[in-house]
Amino acid sequence: MAARPIHRLYLPGAIVAAIIVVALAAPLLPLADPVKMEVPARLALPSLGHVLGQDEYGRDVLSRIIWGARASLAVAFISAMSAGVIGTALGLIGGYARGFLEILTVRSMEAIVCFPPILLALLVVTLMGPGVATLVIALTILYAPGYTRVAFAATLATRGLDYVTAQHALGAGPVRILARTILPNVAPPLLVQFSLTVAAAMVLESGLSFLGLGVVPPAPSWGLMIRGARSTMEQAPWLLLWPCLALTGTILTFNQLCDRLRDVLDPRAGSAGAGWLRRAAARVWPDASLPAPSLLRVEGLTVEIATPTARIRPVRDMSLSLAPGETLALVGESGSGKTLTGLALLGLLPPTMEIIAGRVLYVDRTGRARDLAHVPETEMRRLRGDEIAMVFQDPGSNLNPVHRVGDQVAEVIRAHRDLPRAGAAAQAVALLKDVGLPDPEQRSRAYPHELSGGQRQRAMIAAAIANGPRLLIADEPTTALDVTIQAQILDLLAAFKAKSDMGLIFVTHNLAVVAEIADRVCVMYAGEIVEEGPVAEVFARPRHPYTAALIASAPEGADAELAAIPGTVPLPDALPAGCTFAPRCACAAEPCHTTKPGFAEVGPGRSSRCFRWKGVA
Amino acid sequence: MFSYALARIAVALGLIWAVVTLVFLIIHFVPGDPAELLLSQGGVAPDPAAVAELREKLGLDRPILTQYLSHVGGLLKGDLGSSLLDDHSVAEDITLRLPRTLELILAASLIAVLFGLPLGTLAALRPGSAIDRVLAGAAGLGLSIPVFVVGTIAILVFAQKLRWVPAGGFVPFSRDPLRHLILLLMPAGAIAVGLGAVVFRMTRSSVLEVLARDYVRAAHAKGLSPSRIVLHHVLRNALIPVVTVLALHAGSLLGGTVLVEFVFNWPGLSGYLVRAVEQRDYPEVVGIVLVISIAFVVINLLVDLLYAVIDPRVRHG
Repeated sequence: MAARPIHRLYLPGAIVAAIIVVALAAPLLPLADPVKMEVPARLALPSLGHVLGQDEYGRDVLSRIIWGARASLAVAFISAMSAGVIGTALGLIGGYARGFLEILTVRSMEAIVCFPPILLALLVVTLMGPGVATLVIALTILYAPGYTRVAFAATLATRGLDYVTAQHALGAGPVRILARTILPNVAPPLLVQFSLTVAAAMVLESGLSFLGLGVVPPAPSWGLMIRGARSTMEQAPWLLLWPCLALTGTILTFNQLCDRLRDVLDPRAGSAGAGWLRRAAARVWPDASLPAPSLLRVEGLTVEIATPTARIRPVRDMSLSLAPGETLALVGESGSGKTLTGLALLGLLPPTMEIIAGRVLYVDRTGRARDLAHVPETEMRRLRGDEIAMVFQDPGSNLNPVHRVGDQVAEVIRAHRDLPRAGAAAQAVALLKDVGLPDPEQRSRAYPHELSGGQRQRAMIAAAIANGPRLLIADEPTTALDVTIQAQILDLLAAFKAKSDMGLIFVTHNLAVVAEIADRVCVMYAGEIVEEGPVAEVFARPRHPYTAALIASAPEGADAELAAIPGTVPLPDALPAGCTFAPRCACAAEPCHTTKPGFAEVGPGRSSRCFRWKGVA
Repeated sequence: MFSYALARIAVALGLIWAVVTLVFLIIHFVPGDPAELLLSQGGVAPDPAAVAELREKLGLDRPILTQYLSHVGGLLKGDLGSSLLDDHSVAEDITLRLPRTLELILAASLIAVLFGLPLGTLAALRPGSAIDRVLAGAAGLGLSIPVFVVGTIAILVFAQKLRWVPAGGFVPFSRDPLRHLILLLMPAGAIAVGLGAVVFRMTRSSVLEVLARDYVRAAHAKGLSPSRIVLHHVLRNALIPVVTVLALHAGSLLGGTVLVEFVFNWPGLSGYLVRAVEQRDYPEVVGIVLVISIAFVVINLLVDLLYAVIDPRVRHG
């Protein structure tokens, strides 16, 4: 998130301030009398004495515009203010006291919202007759519920917080707590509500005046001026132009101010979204001369996050290889870059991230080798879900809530095979049966929320293996599940792998899972692979101090003593100059703090990123 | 699904009862006697005999509970009383005019969705691009320009200067369908400017939010085409908040077409309301307010039910 765009408030803020100042200063300005008629000069064109011309009664248009601003702004501000005071008070009381008072304050306000706004205003006008006072009362009633809702929600969110409870314990009375503790916290959303209300009140005021039910003639008001100009617009269209411009321009400025105020006060709003679809066609490299690895070979993969201030590289110099039928575990703490690595292989990095170096060589079904880091998006799409599939961590959020489970399995088949709908549906049911979903015919018609967590993950796996992939990337597929279900899912993956020569990259932070499922393991730390080798050998004799510490800290039995690794993982924008693990390393020596160790072979099939690997116990 | 619908309907009926009671109470507890208020024009004190006569005619001399019961009883029979001025049945006048206003709102919503939905999606797929910024600017203007300004300028340009369409009026569909639709176009279009801007903004932010969801990434991982991902996975989910906002706005338009009906001389319910307000015709005002509020509640009920169709999770919630 970039800095809060406070400077974006300046322009609309300045215009609003200027409008307010001109309106306030109207009596002091050398203006013609806004209600003085001069019938012979009706519809006169702009002249020196009347810069914007004269209206259908010969009154000065400029003067009426400025005095009209005064009327509009006065009504809008006074009603927004009084609605704010009343509405906020009711919301605070209702949110703080709850119970009966909540019904009396908050729920009764909600009843008002049941009426369309202009209807309610008209009802008030019927009862009280047109005029400025009526307008203010109508708008106050109309806009108070908005404040009540905001204040109520904010109070509810605030009242449970520790410091409010603490005030209570210290013996502060409810009024004191509301005024001193809660009100300052709910002020920002109320400020936004205020500017919203002013703009809305101006729209409504001008509308009612336009209907002849608001400001009473001959007093000037923009709504009234438009009403008047309507009757002569064929002869004098410019008379329509001025009040329309003034009204629309003022409302537009207020709305702008309001939008930007919201951006400043609530930085989360408007920053959401990741344009997955924006991934443009990547640079294409000739792929004919690539050396053929067995299934996958990643060389020096580096991922960078584009930020205006710093270059952050959450994955650096990542190299690994995988043979058909082999299982490779990627192990590391949260934030070590293992999930990003998986996404990078599939070309699914968020749009803020980019592969800036390295190659991802993959041999497809036809035996052709390609660099996945540089194939065009359309070609990558043909591979995804077909040859290369991915199972994600949380099956709950990775299944689309509004589509049936069976359809979500069938669509991956139809995306890559030319198959009729019914055929794909039948295959989906068969797949759901394969992954051990009970009653697959009926379950395929269920929605994701009707399945248990384990059943959802089985469905995700069914979709992933639907087209018989050659490479499956499983990103912590068991983390969100119960322990017993975890074991079942692991068995399922192992059973499927036994039936095919699929390569599996298994991302996890659980060493017990690694020992159970993987042939080889890559240990990641702060965006780098620090050690790689066959699982049994690495576990028996680690060649990197981080691996050793990780194994020591894993709970193995009831009597095992947990050894926590001292210190914290360095942030990706503040990496140490030397070895990334050096600040936490027990056996770090002089070169470790100043020179980066390379990823070097330390035995047959084993590599480590450590100067002192020989000394690791 | 059935029990869900039943529960929603029960809540809606409760709300309607609350609205009926609230309107009754407002009329009766507002300071000042309605009959007196009604007869006083321009600050002149009314003739006491006339006030007494009107009180009797309106039944204001009876105890409040009796009045309330006969009011509700009349409503149940579809009786909204008759106009004080011309003795027309209020229920009949409303039956004649309500469909015209509903038609206007429906046409405006259709136009708003037709433009707002695809453009909002387009802007969300290219956030920060030139297209996005131009569309956002246009939507900001659309939201800021009051509907009667749009309407008046549209008449000036399209009816008076270019002479493409008539300046306003109404012809029943049964008499001349084509002319009916032509006359509908301008008022519906004027409403659609603001409504379309609302739909655009809502769609844009909703699509942006859904695009960042895990299941969209999962859909990409399946190798689905971008068009299938947007149409099938993103829009279906993004529509949920858009439908709510659109329905809320369409609901508040029930009374909010006042200005457009006035500008284009469209003989709908709202224009009738303005006349009733100007003349302080109590039975008319109460009748229209009730009908509109009930229609508002019904629209909200329909939205709730529509939700259950779009989002399967709601049916069980």
